[in-house]
Order: sequence, then C-alpha cells, then structure tokens
Amino acid sequence: MILEVLSAGLVITACLAIFLDEAVYSVVALAGTFLFAALLYAESGAIIVGVFQFAVGAGTLAILFLSGEMLSERTLKKTTTKNLVMVVIAGALLSLLPIFLSIFTPEVSTSGVSFGEALWNLRAGDVVLQGLVIMTVAMGVAIILHEKRNGGK
Amino acid sequence: MDFVILSLVLLAIGVYGLLTKRHLLKVFVSVELIATAATLNFVMLAASTGVGVGEAFLVLAFSTDTAVSAVILALLIVVNKKYGVSDIGELGKVKESTEEESEVEA
Repeated sequence: MILEVLSAGLVITACLAIFLDEAVYSVVALAGTFLFAALLYAESGAIIVGVFQFAVGAGTLAILFLSGEMLSERTLKKTTTKNLVMVVIAGALLSLLPIFLSIFTPEVSTSGVSFGEALWNLRAGDVVLQGLVIMTVAMGVAIILHEKRNGGK
Repeated sequence: MDFVILSLVLLAIGVYGLLTKRHLLKVFVSVELIATAATLNFVMLAASTGVGVGEAFLVLAFSTDTAVSAVILALLIVVNKKYGVSDIGELGKVKESTEEESEVEA
C-alpha cells in the first residue's frame, strides 16, 4: 500500500512540475518528485540509493531555486485552482496504470553480490574514474561561466 | 505494482514537457524527469532482483546525471545573461539576428 501511495505522489508531482506556470512552483513540485523517488527507493530496499538520490536532489534543487528566479519572467498568467485540480486528477489517473497493469515480473536472485562488494570489489576503477569525470565537469562549468575582465575583451 | 510502467509514465510526462514547453527551466525540469524515469527503472529492477551490481551502477550513474544537469544549467545561465531570453523560440530568433548582423558586417 505504501508503494502505491508513493508512486501516486511521484506521478502527481511530476505532472505538477510540468504543468504549473510559475517556474519556482515547478521547482517545488520537482522537489516533491525527488523526495517521493528517494522514499520509493528506500521502501523497496535500496536504502543507500535512496539516500544518494535525496542528497543529489537537494543539491540540484538548491541550484535550481537560485537560478529559477533569474531565468523566470514575471508573467500575469497564473495557474488557476481549476487547472491545478485537473492536473492532480490527471496525475492520479496516470498513477493507476502501474498499480493495475503488469508487463514484467522480475525473478529474485539469491546468489547476487551485495552493494558494498559490487561497488568496491567489482567497480572500484569506475569510482575513481567518476571522480575524474566530476573534476572535468567542474572545470567545464567554470569555463562556461567564466567572464573576461576589461569589458569582455 | 509494476515499476516498468511507472517509469514509462514518468518518461511520457518528461517527453511531453520536452516537446510542448518553451521555457528553458521547464525544458530542464523535463530532462530531470526523464533522467528520474531511467533511474527508477534501473533501481527498482536491481532492488527487486536482489543484485547489488545494479545499485552500484546507479550510484555511479547519479553523479553523471548531476554532471549533465550542472552543464545544462550553466549553459542556460550563460544564454540568459548574454541574450536575455528564457524561451527556446526566442533563442532561435536571436541566432538568426546574430547571423544577419555578422553578414551585414562582412
């Protein structure tokens, strides 16, 4: 029952993130999507991934809130209560699909390696390379946002 | 409860937003939703089969996803600061007018 409620919340907040007119409200709805996704992962047994999703989502949302005001324009058009209710109903209807339909049933493996073993024994090289990727991206973002002094020349 | 269908629903919402919304931030939100759909599919499959390798891959994929988000957001900020636009349609017009100006200068 908890999984169904969390998946319904996930779909409804995703719909709100797309259909709300004001960008800041859209970011708030996206925060809900990330929160429901993290709870869904934790409830399904992938607790570490849930915590990771929560941390990554918090960072992304902090930046989105900061840049959201800059990127959004003040518009007179605002979402009416009627439209809001319609979006929530549409999201609730869409969330019924995964509850009542089924196309895939996974087989539970008993001989699988644990998360820690997989990360450090099998994919340790990837973890190091991932650090390099993040460093490269940080440099790339710094270059993109770099402003030349002396009047932009 | 079928998580493949749940991720398909999320993917459909994200693609709809990507195709219909013109605001740059909404496009970014749509990309995030598509990434969440892919992640959800992967995590739930790994969690339901009890294989830890899937979760390990996911932790690595999260950082790549965040890196992509950071680059997209940096580009949006630069576009907004340089041209003052927050709409993809307007961005196309800016490109056309910039090309015309460079042709006149030449």
